[in-house]
Amino acid sequence: MTKLFFVVLATSVTAMVVSCSKGTDNPAPAINYEKIAEGYVVGAGLKASIYSPSATLKTGYNKLYVALADSLSGASVTNASLSFLPMMDMQTMQHSAPVEAFGTADNTGLFSSAVLFTMPSGTMGSWTLRLNVQYSNKAGSFVTPIVINAADPATVKSFVSKADGKKYFIALIEPQKPKVGINDFELAVFQSASMMNFPADSSMTITADPQMPTMGHGSPNNINPVHVGKGHFKGKLNFTMTGLWHVNLKFYQQSAIADTANHFEINF
Amino acid sequence: MKKLLVLFSLAASITAMAQPSDYWPDSLRTVELQHVVVRVKEQSPKTNLYKFFTANKAAGTEDILARLPEISLVRRGNFGMEPTIRSFHSGQINLLLDGMKIHGACTDKMDPASIYIEPQNLKSIDVFTNGSGLMNGSSIGGSINMKLAEASCHDDSRFSGRFSSTYHTVSNGFTESLNLNYGAQKWAARLSGTYRKASNYRDGNGNKIGYSQYEKANFSGNFKYILSEYLSASADVLFDEGWNIGYAALPMDVGYAKARIGSLKLHYERPKQMLNKLQLKLYGNEVIHFMDDSQRPNLAIRMDMPGESRTFGALTEAQMQLAHHHSLLLKAEFSLTKLFASMTMYDNKTTPMYMLTWPHNNQAQTALSAEYSWQMDSLTKMQINSRIDYSAFRLTSEMGKDQFAVLGYPEASASFVLPSASVNLSRRFAKNFRAGITYTVNGRMPTASELYGFYLFSRFDGYDYIGAPDLKPETAHQAELSLQWQSKKLKLHTAGFVSNISNYISGKVEPAFQVMTPGANGVKIYRNTGTALMTGVEASVLFQPQPSWTLMTTLRYNEGRFETGDNLPMISPLKNVTSVKKTFENGWISAEAEFAAPQNKVSKPFGEQATGSYKLFHLRAGYQLTVWKKTIDLNGGLENILNEVYREHLDWGNIPRPGRNCYIQLAVSF
Repeated sequence: MTKLFFVVLATSVTAMVVSCSKGTDNPAPAINYEKIAEGYVVGAGLKASIYSPSATLKTGYNKLYVALADSLSGASVTNASLSFLPMMDMQTMQHSAPVEAFGTADNTGLFSSAVLFTMPSGTMGSWTLRLNVQYSNKAGSFVTPIVINAADPATVKSFVSKADGKKYFIALIEPQKPKVGINDFELAVFQSASMMNFPADSSMTITADPQMPTMGHGSPNNINPVHVGKGHFKGKLNFTMTGLWHVNLKFYQQSAIADTANHFEINF
Repeated sequence: MKKLLVLFSLAASITAMAQPSDYWPDSLRTVELQHVVVRVKEQSPKTNLYKFFTANKAAGTEDILARLPEISLVRRGNFGMEPTIRSFHSGQINLLLDGMKIHGACTDKMDPASIYIEPQNLKSIDVFTNGSGLMNGSSIGGSINMKLAEASCHDDSRFSGRFSSTYHTVSNGFTESLNLNYGAQKWAARLSGTYRKASNYRDGNGNKIGYSQYEKANFSGNFKYILSEYLSASADVLFDEGWNIGYAALPMDVGYAKARIGSLKLHYERPKQMLNKLQLKLYGNEVIHFMDDSQRPNLAIRMDMPGESRTFGALTEAQMQLAHHHSLLLKAEFSLTKLFASMTMYDNKTTPMYMLTWPHNNQAQTALSAEYSWQMDSLTKMQINSRIDYSAFRLTSEMGKDQFAVLGYPEASASFVLPSASVNLSRRFAKNFRAGITYTVNGRMPTASELYGFYLFSRFDGYDYIGAPDLKPETAHQAELSLQWQSKKLKLHTAGFVSNISNYISGKVEPAFQVMTPGANGVKIYRNTGTALMTGVEASVLFQPQPSWTLMTTLRYNEGRFETGDNLPMISPLKNVTSVKKTFENGWISAEAEFAAPQNKVSKPFGEQATGSYKLFHLRAGYQLTVWKKTIDLNGGLENILNEVYREHLDWGNIPRPGRNCYIQLAVSF
């Protein structure tokens, strides 16, 4: 009986080890993400795959991942430099959107960036996403049409600052999965310097006050978001119950009021 | 604290050289509810006085409790009244059922354990004040132990029972009760059932008080088996179901309330032995309470507030006669209480709003207690009570921990070691006169609401209350003096007490927090707020000029103050109850007057309202006849004869109490 037990145990352990090692041999990257576009980076001899955490892109802050491969050998390429250029074509005019710079590839060969889509695709116009790549003295690009759905509730807001007269975009990044209790709170702020240029902004001081509009109450001990770099602000949001919350935001620039009219809705 | 530990061990060691005594503590009041029960211990003379109140067999548990001078009831509806002892509130007293802990499942205290017990399930109610309650739990206000009726054995196997039907005009209320007993030589079984239904009652102006209706059914069973001459085993089950219970003074009612209570007991009793009594008991109970506002009109937002409570426990008790005049009672107990209550609000447009009002929490409690009695000489008795409690509270759900993390308590666990001790000396100074003094140092743990309540709205002061897991226990130094004069015709008793409470737990306004309940005045967080002083006196006279005439009168007065000079809230005013009773061969008639003084010593910080005085008069009578060898009891009465419009000071929400009521009860015993 005991012998049989050990035989079974040894067999199953071996099976587990075999299956594990098999998995590490396979270099398929980005299994956790959805592929949203794929194509050749014309001029660079590369094939690019663009991934997103969800299959549909929505207005607001979207993390995007790119995997590059040699278009002939299919080998993974990790020593390239990349940039995104989203473009909204509204026929009479075109504009881009705030973009975050790519870093170096991570250990699965993925390059990551983020794009703040400021409006949905539709009758107003359509989005394309251009990926520019420089790779060993070659440069090329891959352009793909993309569909941006309207996020409901909205996770991007804009206002013209009462302090400096410039337009700003505010993106809600966290909480992605709101819960009762203490939630990480993250915003990103971009200035709309021109139709094509949206630099990250660190000039704002922000206060956040979560309120339940149906009940007329808030929550205690929230921590206002403070700038942590590249236009990102982090704080804490406390929700004392489930339901619809309005995160009322106030923006100040050097203690002058920039905007007090915006809030994000969080419904869970 | 160390001092108390020393006291405790001292008490335990003194007892090593102790002796038997039939001493009964001064500060114990017992209400005998069933004449079939004969107590082994000699009763305190004043105990007889309380038998007086139980002549009215139509009375509910709450009616009986309300007559005791030490007890006042906090009233939020026509049902579910919360007992207080000497104006110590429910968190400061212990309310036990046959020694079992039952934690209410309602965050608004709408379900004290007393609502689950019908008078016909009760053998007696023991009320302990001051240190004499230490065997029942650590509390600073004393304890109430409701003892359950037991099946009785008979040498010639016998079936007996009683059926009664009662009608109250004021609330168009019915009570139907049946109890059955089968007693054999070696075993006995008792079953009882009660059904009650009451509509909205009318106050003294004839106005119907909305949301004062209730309906409930209660079933209990007791099974006893005699294992040997000295050893018996028994099992108890009790089911109580209430539904459609209105709470006139609250914004919500109770859709249903269910209690399931069960226990197993082994009882050993052998007189004239060193170990003359040993008892082991295992118990469990479950209370499910569903509070909602579905019956209230015109609400933009609907709210459900269900709560659940489960307690498991074990206790063992040993009574020893160590030497001729020394006796010792030892008790060890353990209990685990699991609590949970939530709130969901619906507005038909957004996601339901859900939160935990009592985040899932466990309270594990272990205690050892000892009562040592010494008959020092023929005139003098001494009793030392001591107790040590260890209790640990913790949150058990992630959501609950997350909610308390918001308040700055990521773990929110709490544990307490609470030692208590009490010394009582009593001496007979003349043939009919006895005096006793008691000094007690005791404490109480914070309640679940005080530790873990999350925005619990109190209609009393209109604040949302939040718990604080870092509360310290309330501790008290208490002294009581009692005087008794007793002759065959006249029994007088008076007691006065002083209680100095440290770390008094009370809500403090937290201006930085926003209210959660629409229209609330603000948010209060439970804090240890310094010291408070409570004082009071009780007196009773029982005069029997002839065996068939009895005059009984009781008086009580309490005061309470914070160290700031502010009055404590919810202090009962001066109250007097006087009854005259004449018994005949087949019946009795009694006239009773209740008088309460106005209460103007109100708490300003709590925005408490003053209450006016009131006078009530009642007439009651009973007649017994025998038809076909069955005893038939006819009871009836007219209560609040003058149709007084009144409220007691502890009543919430300015809701008048019932006006004139006529009741009639028919009971058949077989």
